[in-house]
This record gives sequence, C-alpha cells and structure tokens, in this order.
Amino acid sequence: MEIVVCVKPVPEAETRLRVATDGTALDPEAVKFVLTGYDESAVEQALLLKESVPGSKVHAISYGPAPRTEEVLRAAIALGCDQATWIDSGAAPATDPVDVARALAAAIRPVPHDLVLLGKQAGDDEEGVVAAALGELLEVPDFGFVVDLRWDAAGSRFKFRRASEAGLESWEAPTPLVVGLQQAWNDPRTAKLPAILKSRKAPIAKVTAAARSAEAARSRSVKFELPAPRTGAKLIEFKTPQEAAEKLVKVLREEAKVFP
Amino acid sequence: MPDFSLTPEQESLRDLARKFARTEMAPHAAEVDRTARFPEEIYRKAYDLGLMNLNVPTEYGGSGLGVFDQCLIVEELAYACGGMTTSIIANCLALEPIILGGTPEQKERFLKPFCAEYQFASFGLTEPSGGSDAGALHTRAQRDGDHYVLDGEKCFITNAPHATLYTVFATVDPSLRHKGITAFVVPRTAQGVIPGKDEDKMGHRASSTGTVRFEGVRVPVANRLGEEGAGFSLAMRTLDQTRTPIGALATGIAQAALDHAAAYSLKRQTFGKPIAQHQAIQMKLANMAQAIHAARLLTWHAAWKIDRGERGTLESSIAKCFASDSALDVANEAIQTFGGYGYMKDYPVEKLLRDAKLTQIYEGANEIQRSVIARELLRAYE
Repeated sequence: MEIVVCVKPVPEAETRLRVATDGTALDPEAVKFVLTGYDESAVEQALLLKESVPGSKVHAISYGPAPRTEEVLRAAIALGCDQATWIDSGAAPATDPVDVARALAAAIRPVPHDLVLLGKQAGDDEEGVVAAALGELLEVPDFGFVVDLRWDAAGSRFKFRRASEAGLESWEAPTPLVVGLQQAWNDPRTAKLPAILKSRKAPIAKVTAAARSAEAARSRSVKFELPAPRTGAKLIEFKTPQEAAEKLVKVLREEAKVFP
Repeated sequence: MPDFSLTPEQESLRDLARKFARTEMAPHAAEVDRTARFPEEIYRKAYDLGLMNLNVPTEYGGSGLGVFDQCLIVEELAYACGGMTTSIIANCLALEPIILGGTPEQKERFLKPFCAEYQFASFGLTEPSGGSDAGALHTRAQRDGDHYVLDGEKCFITNAPHATLYTVFATVDPSLRHKGITAFVVPRTAQGVIPGKDEDKMGHRASSTGTVRFEGVRVPVANRLGEEGAGFSLAMRTLDQTRTPIGALATGIAQAALDHAAAYSLKRQTFGKPIAQHQAIQMKLANMAQAIHAARLLTWHAAWKIDRGERGTLESSIAKCFASDSALDVANEAIQTFGGYGYMKDYPVEKLLRDAKLTQIYEGANEIQRSVIARELLRAYE
C-alpha cells in the first residue's frame, strides 16, 4: 500500500511567540518548529498501517519554507517514513488553507497514493480545512475526525471510525481516500536515537510550489497580535492537598463570595 | 576555533533526551528518590530509545556518539534526575575499557551481544581500602594455565547488583604497584562472582550502588584487556573519556536548581513584591547563572578537545571539578532562595543538593581532579 502522510511544521508548545516587526504575522525567528499533535497521530497511523500491510511504503510530504519544513520531514523519517518530499513555499508560505491544499495536491497527484493521511487540523492555526480541500482537489472521498483506521485485505477496503460528540461512527471505503486524523488516539511513538542519526542523511526530494492562486491573493493579513495577558488569577500555595482545599474554600467564601 | 552552535543533528539528539527526561523520568524522580527503587521500566525505555551505550560504536550495536554529543544528552537527563542518569550512563563507563583496550575479537564477543539486549555493565576499580589511590588496589589475579583466578572485593560500584558484565581491575603482582594492574572482562555468570547488597545513599537514590566480591573466579586469558600491567593506563584513559559527561551531569542538576529557584522567586512575595525583585535574590540568581554557563562551556570545550582526538586530561578534570563544585553551590543557593520550603522534601530542590554532592566524589574525587590539574599545569613551568 502506498501511503502519503502530510505534515506541517508547527511552533513547539513551549515556544515564546513574538509578533514580527511589520505587525502582520508571527515572528519565526527563535521559534522552534516541530512535528506535533495531530500530525504525530497521522504519522503513527501511517506507520501502523505500513506494519500491518506487507510491502507498504510511507511518503511524507510537507509544504513550507526552509529550514523548518525539512526538519519536520527528517522527524517523520526518523519515526519510520520511507521517503520525503519538501514543497518549497519560498520565504512567505501561503496562509490560505486551500492554497496549501493545492500545493499538496500538485505534489501528491504524480506519486502513488492509496491513502492520504493528515492531522484533521494543524496544531497552530487549527483551521481544519486542508484535509477536506485536498479530498476535493484530488477528487477522492475525504473523512475527518478519524480514529482507528485499518485495512481489510479480504474486502479490499479501509475500515475506520469517526469520533463525534454523539459517539463513534463506523465507516468503510475503498482506495484512494483522504483521511484527517484525530489527535493522539494512537499514542504516537518516539523516534530512536539511531533512527534520528540516520534521518539526517536521508535524501529529501524538493519541488517548488506554484504561485498563489488569484482567489487567495485577493486577501492579505492585516494585523497579528498576541492575546492580552490574563490577570486576576490567584495562586494558592500549599503543602498538602487538604491545605490547598481549605485555602481555596476560604478564598471562594470570603473573597469571591460564591459560597455563603 | 571551537564553534559551539549546535548542528540540527545535535539539536535533535538533545530534543530526544529532553523529551525522554521530562516525560518519562521527571514525573517519577521524587518517588524513586523517596523509595530508593531501581526503576527498571524507565531504564528499559532509555535502552529502547538508544540512550544507553551511547559511546559504543554503531557496528557493535551502540549509539556511536562522541563525548560532546554524550554531554548534550547527559545534561538533559540529569536535569530530570541525577540518580537515574547515573544508572543510565554507567554502561558507558563500564564498556569504555573494552572500546579502548579490547581487540576486534573481544569487541565482537563482548560488546555486540551486550548491546543487543537491555542489560547493565559495571566498572570495577574502587575497593573498600580506597578508590583514589588506584595503584594500590588489592584484588589479585593469579595466572593458572590459560586462566586467571580473581580474588578480592570492589565497592561503590554503580549498578553492580544488576550487572551482567563487569570490567574488573586486578593486580598480577602488588609489589609492582601501577605496573601490576591488569583489566579483565568478567561475566556475572562466572563461578564466584558475588554481588553484595544495595547501599542506602544520601542521593542518586534511583541508582543502584553495591559491592562485588570475586572468590576464586576463573577468567579465561582471552578476557584480559591488553597486556598484563596495562590496566592502570587503561583505567586512566577510560576516565579521560568519561569524566567530561560527569561535568554535564552536574550542569544538568545545577540548571534544574536555577530553573526552580528563578520560577519560585517570581511567584513568592515578601515585603509586598516578588522576591525576584529583591537584590539579595537577584545576586544569587546571577551567580548561579554564571556558574552554570561557565560549567557548560568548560564541559563543551573539554568534550570538543577529546572528540578531536586530543587527550584532554587537563580540560576534562577542570570541567568535572568546576561543574560539580558549582552544582553543589547552585543547589545550595536554590534551597536558600526557597527558604524553609527549600528544606522540605515536598519541594524539589533539597534532592538536587543531595544529588549534586556525589558529582564531587565519583569518577575521581575533586581532590584528585585538582592534583591532576596541578600536575598537568606544572609541566608547563618545569
């Protein structure tokens, strides 16, 4: 089975974010970009399928600028992906998710793909559009919020479940398919040290992204601001849980007056 | 000129160690310190990720890292728990004599099967009668045909109760002093190898430390590393390789102490403002940061020299000595910053002081490091 997994470089959760000097974007300087969250689940799903279906290959594809995009692809290779393609966005990557999906679709069309896996949304902007747009552009069915996808060899189809607030839906579909994965349902593995060292020497194919579409070029980012720091929090110091609870009740009763 | 900007490869090694340290080690550090449990489930994960046997060449199943890269990893691990780190890296010390002094056949025979599985090895140099005066060790190795017979006792041996392989230093003739010392590889399964009880220690309580007795242990001549009498030099060359990561281990403990102290100082209020706004605390934090920065750079410089193939004895002794002395000072000041809370076991900083203390003692006591430093530097004046 030929599996394509799309990943996105996302700022590490502990990174201190700053606004760029022109005030319209995040300042990428000193930000550490990593493979994270939903994408880790997508890579893990790809590797689980590869391990369960003999002869499978996993091809990681990422759209973005240097050097962060190459770094997340190396992280994907260290986890076990067989090959990688970097779609070079140039210094100013598209922010429009449909444009991103176009760039990904252009790279995916010429390569074998029985299944295209993505995080159901990115860990930073959390737009959740790319997977659906990619399904449309590739003209294959797409599903989001997927957990637990398997290949039914006898029936030649995928069997998978979608998590919704009402419960779990069970589905099946033949190849090819685009699937957006729910986060961390599958306990993503950690890359091992020898694999990390080996991934540094792995070849990464490079293609250049097409220019932004006319539709997307009509909009532009005007301003980017960080959320205002929150105030009003009160820290309670304690040595035992009992002491914490006693102090909290006192504050709730005497200061916040939520109890009589 | 050394360039200490890390390569992307080094950053990814450090990230792996950091992630492992913070997700797998740190949440259990207080518990294993309290109970002195040997957390095998954590060590097994470290092995699975390739964080043990860091110095063993890849062709023998190790991670094949140089000293600099080992230091990056060790500092991250020690940030979470010094004791666990000692047990995780003890194989590096125990296997280094085989890496440095073993024949290709011995490396194939010992390192390959050892690294293929999760297991521990121990370095047996120190004896109850002393560790610093290694030339005067008492363990005897008497030749008997194509075997040696080992008799004696080693103590304060990291991971000894759990080890499956020991590198043991014994003398073929005590009257020869240094020139009689010979190194052997001894499997735990050999008749007469008797590991003793786990010691109850002040710090590094996640690590296991014990004695090993050798009672008439027959060791094939094929298990001797180098020639008869070459053991002392092999032990010293081993320590030249492994001393610098102890500097990194101490630096990791110190960095944890500073991070705790700085975070606490921003939160804790006295006289109407956070104590971080009092000069008394600012001076402490600044001194701690200086010591840590210097310790890290000394460690990196020593590692850089050794990785270039230079001996680095002077630099690694300076790094180990300075970093470990600094770690004790920094942990001590972190406790002072916390005040009464710092003295309580519910808070994390008193453990750091207990863990830092050992780094002044093991892998060559700091008095020995200072003797080495003086010897090396006086050469320049003679």
